[in-house]
Amino acid sequence: MRNINSIYYLLRSAFSDFKRDKVRTALTSLGIMVGVLSVVMLIAIGLGLKNYISKQFETLGANLILVLPGSGISGGGFGGGLVGGAEFDNRDAENLRRIEGIEYVVSVYFKSSLIETTDKEKTGYVMGVNDEYFGLMNTDLLIGELFSKTEIGNRAKVAVIGNVLAGELFETAEDAIGKSVRISGVRLKIIGVVKKSGDREQDRAVILPYTTTYGSINPKKTFWAIYLGVPNKDEVTRVTNEAREMLLKRYKKDAFSVTEQAEVLSTINQIFGVINLVLIAIGSISLLVGGIGIMNIMYATVTERTREIGIRRAIGARKSDISLQFLTESVVLSALGGIAGLLLAAGITLIVRIWFPVALNLTAVLIAFGVSSVIGVFFGVAPARKAANLSPIDAIRYE
Amino acid sequence: MTKSMIKLDSVWKEYTLGDGSIFEALKNVSVEIRRGEMLGIVGTSGSGKSTLMHLVGLLDKPSRGTILVNDQDVSKLSDDEASTLRSEFVGFVFQQFNLIPKLTVLENVMLPTVYARKKLAFGPEKRALELIARFGLSGKEDSTPNKLSGGQQQRVAIARALIMSPQLILADEPTGNLDSKTGNEILDLFSELNKKDGVTLAIVTHEETVAKRTSRRIHIHDGAVIKGK
Repeated sequence: MRNINSIYYLLRSAFSDFKRDKVRTALTSLGIMVGVLSVVMLIAIGLGLKNYISKQFETLGANLILVLPGSGISGGGFGGGLVGGAEFDNRDAENLRRIEGIEYVVSVYFKSSLIETTDKEKTGYVMGVNDEYFGLMNTDLLIGELFSKTEIGNRAKVAVIGNVLAGELFETAEDAIGKSVRISGVRLKIIGVVKKSGDREQDRAVILPYTTTYGSINPKKTFWAIYLGVPNKDEVTRVTNEAREMLLKRYKKDAFSVTEQAEVLSTINQIFGVINLVLIAIGSISLLVGGIGIMNIMYATVTERTREIGIRRAIGARKSDISLQFLTESVVLSALGGIAGLLLAAGITLIVRIWFPVALNLTAVLIAFGVSSVIGVFFGVAPARKAANLSPIDAIRYE
Repeated sequence: MTKSMIKLDSVWKEYTLGDGSIFEALKNVSVEIRRGEMLGIVGTSGSGKSTLMHLVGLLDKPSRGTILVNDQDVSKLSDDEASTLRSEFVGFVFQQFNLIPKLTVLENVMLPTVYARKKLAFGPEKRALELIARFGLSGKEDSTPNKLSGGQQQRVAIARALIMSPQLILADEPTGNLDSKTGNEILDLFSELNKKDGVTLAIVTHEETVAKRTSRRIHIHDGAVIKGK
């Protein structure tokens, strides 16, 4: 037996109405489509950014402690950030090395710089570090060799370059070996190329002994940061505290920060959690606008079909039958838009993935689809109620 | 069961107009519709005959007075209960046909079964096709109403009114939009339904020619019954 309560009848009736007015259906659903698309894409981009940055940090060794100028990434907020504060020097590095449990101490000079060869110039990064850097960062050599304590000791004008930079300046990594690059007037012989890592900066960097930067590249002999490596995980917190105590003897509390990498990761996760929420909120505005579009059309539909509503009521339809009919239409309209938006988002994600690690996650998809259906209900209720509450007599006389 | 199918006892229907004054559409009306008859409710435009039909058809409620359907007081039924009774007890035929334009003939005829609350003793499609064939509309099942003539549309409407096998057919100016020949054919159909099938009919009309075809007449003027009861 066929019954108004059967979802089949309601859906069939909704779809046959849509088929009669395809343009209107498409335009009404378009609002929701754009809304769902923007919510899903914004979440995908937010997650992509988060993954991208987390990955960069994860390529660093697990038990890493970062000594940074300013109030650092955590604590004092993002804005105050890494700018300003202490300028570390070799004395700090030597002091920190005395802390028990530390295996690696790498002072890092870091700067964006113009890198010249005989016939090309590119913008890249200059990283002045010691030989322990490679062990701490798990940096693998692609070809040639890394510099050692000997080169640090005699301030050798040698460099190891990142894989991407090698490709830009020379044909291949092999070609780079033995060639030279110039930075701030200093000529450096390339002795090695390191493998591509998740770290974009290292891939585009000229890595040289920190002692070699003393002079025209780094006249003040200061460092941007000091990385500490602790082999025993259980000692990370103790070492962090001791390093902080030690640095407090030279610098003010706000001038530097000592942060465990795990802490940095959780801070990043927190920041992106907030960014994602903001993105979802922005995307939701378009969903809301789409929902209002549906409500508008449903009101128009109710008016257009007043007489039909009157006829249906006269032949026995209850108020609930009428409201269910219109509610089904608004939910189906909205869900159609939701599905179209999701399909489009999936397509765009697949394409964008080639350049940027955007991530569609199931939660975002389910939320977007759920929300678009809920919007159909939410914005469909008022028009459906209006339809149901029409007086059958007035409705049937409506011209 | 009494002979009286529907009985209106001292029924008033009042409307509050825009200026706050009260318009009395029906004044102290007491009439009955008897089982098996073909009743004419006759009156000029604005006499209150359509209001009377709406009350009898459970589309509206009286301001005062009682309406008994098979001895059951229906004037205080809830909206849902009235809907159920409309679905099972009464079939409407209108002057404007009132078919749903986007539905096919078959879908229009079957529409009341969609809203049925009781389990149907028949297959809706089979019965709809039988009615369509009986009224000479075979071959038009999949047409939409705008492809049909006025007389054909009204026959579809009658088929729709009959599909739930109601006890009463209420027809509001059923020939008002038809030429006299087609109108007569529709009235012939009503007579046949009344005599052969035993369907009780109440036909609202302002035309004497139509009224003459009925077995008994009630005349309404200015909201009051002036002849018959």
